[in-house]
Amino acid sequence: MPLVNFTTREITCKLVYYGPGRCGKTTNLLYIHGRVPEQRRGNLVSLATQSDRTLFFDFLPLELGMISGFATRFQLYTVPGQVYYNATRRLVLQGADGVVFVVDSQARRFDDNLESFQNLQENLLDQGVDIRNLPLVLQYNKQDLPPDLILAPAELDDAFNFRGVPSLPSDALHGTGVFETLKSLSALVLQRLAARAPVP
Amino acid sequence: MRAIERWVEVPLQTFLSESAARVTLLMTSSGQVVAQHGFTRSLDVMSAAALGAGILASTAELSRVMGTRPLDAVVHQGSAVGVYLAGFDTPRGRWLGLVVFGPETSLGLVQMFFARMVGDLGRAAPAEEPPRQVLAEDFEAELNSSLRTLFGR
Amino acid sequence: MSLDLALSDITRIPGVRGALVVSRDDGLVVADALMEGVDGGAVAALAASLAGRMRGVTAVLGQPEPVLLTLGGTEGMLLLAPGQSGLLLVAVAGSDVNVAELRLSVLAAAGTTF
Repeated sequence: MPLVNFTTREITCKLVYYGPGRCGKTTNLLYIHGRVPEQRRGNLVSLATQSDRTLFFDFLPLELGMISGFATRFQLYTVPGQVYYNATRRLVLQGADGVVFVVDSQARRFDDNLESFQNLQENLLDQGVDIRNLPLVLQYNKQDLPPDLILAPAELDDAFNFRGVPSLPSDALHGTGVFETLKSLSALVLQRLAARAPVP
Repeated sequence: MRAIERWVEVPLQTFLSESAARVTLLMTSSGQVVAQHGFTRSLDVMSAAALGAGILASTAELSRVMGTRPLDAVVHQGSAVGVYLAGFDTPRGRWLGLVVFGPETSLGLVQMFFARMVGDLGRAAPAEEPPRQVLAEDFEAELNSSLRTLFGR
Repeated sequence: MSLDLALSDITRIPGVRGALVVSRDDGLVVADALMEGVDGGAVAALAASLAGRMRGVTAVLGQPEPVLLTLGGTEGMLLLAPGQSGLLLVAVAGSDVNVAELRLSVLAAAGTTF
């Protein structure tokens, strides 16, 4: 769960962007990094291969500001999407307070999305986490592509959103839906934190 | 020096003064910062913690793949500074330490005093406190406002 | 002379509790022959630190580097002999040791080993 410092009144949450290779996880972080004022964000740490594919993870720390009197920070991580990097994905997923599952809306990537989503559930289960109990948001990315190439949000909801979690269409490259996705997941994570700590 | 919980402060301060380490970071195994000394920006602390936790996690995974006993510590020796990274168990779960040290001390001293700090932390840890109220019920308005400010909307 | 042989030449002296070859820069044990209860890692780290500080003192005084450092205590002593190759020979002894014999052995071992 989020790390809470009562002495200095700070909350730190770990949010992980998960999804198949080239679905747009790093693009989400790049957009956020480009939009947020420098004094409110750290450097975008990117451990990538020479061809710019995420090798280990991307990491972006954000200073959100004061929420309920707590200085709130987000640590945004992406995982490498390629199938063979599962050990790394498991490591990055460890201790996640919430997950954005980024779906590549292209119809031809449907099976890759499904495989990655199942992989997310398996990796969470390995860590003793039931996906039904973890704050989760679905982001249907690349919705800007021609309609004949992509699946509509309703169709993707049918396939992935069996829990009725928030799902948002996006075009991460141009920023559409990026802000809304982060907002949606952070609300879920903080709601969970508020619900977990009863009034003494 | 800053620590999430007060009981961490004395063992960490003792380590800092005895080892002459320049930078020290204690974190959970998932990269959440527990205490730190020597950083100027909290955002840099988080990046260092994420990278340090990543290195140790991949080392642990490597030892699992090779079928060896867990590799608990990693040392990066640079020409000007060295970095010592080590995992250890505490009454609050598994923590990791990242220490940056210069030629004014040595790896041997850092290792020795680090081991002492681990023992001190184990003895200093109080029983876990019951959960306390963290966020007010109406936090969402503040969250939305903070995010709007962050994104300039 | 091998490191092990150099160490055994020292540890055969009555009253010696252990001997170590230590890396001077990082304070780590390179080789050791220690009695039960002697924390080799701690001795190595602290001895290397001490030798480094003494090197600094002699440098400030414009003197050459010391060839032997002796640290006496009520219950024993520590002898350090810095070598040229970044190594340090360390002997840990109780108060009942023949100090003259130990000094000669440590210097001889350091001279032939490093």
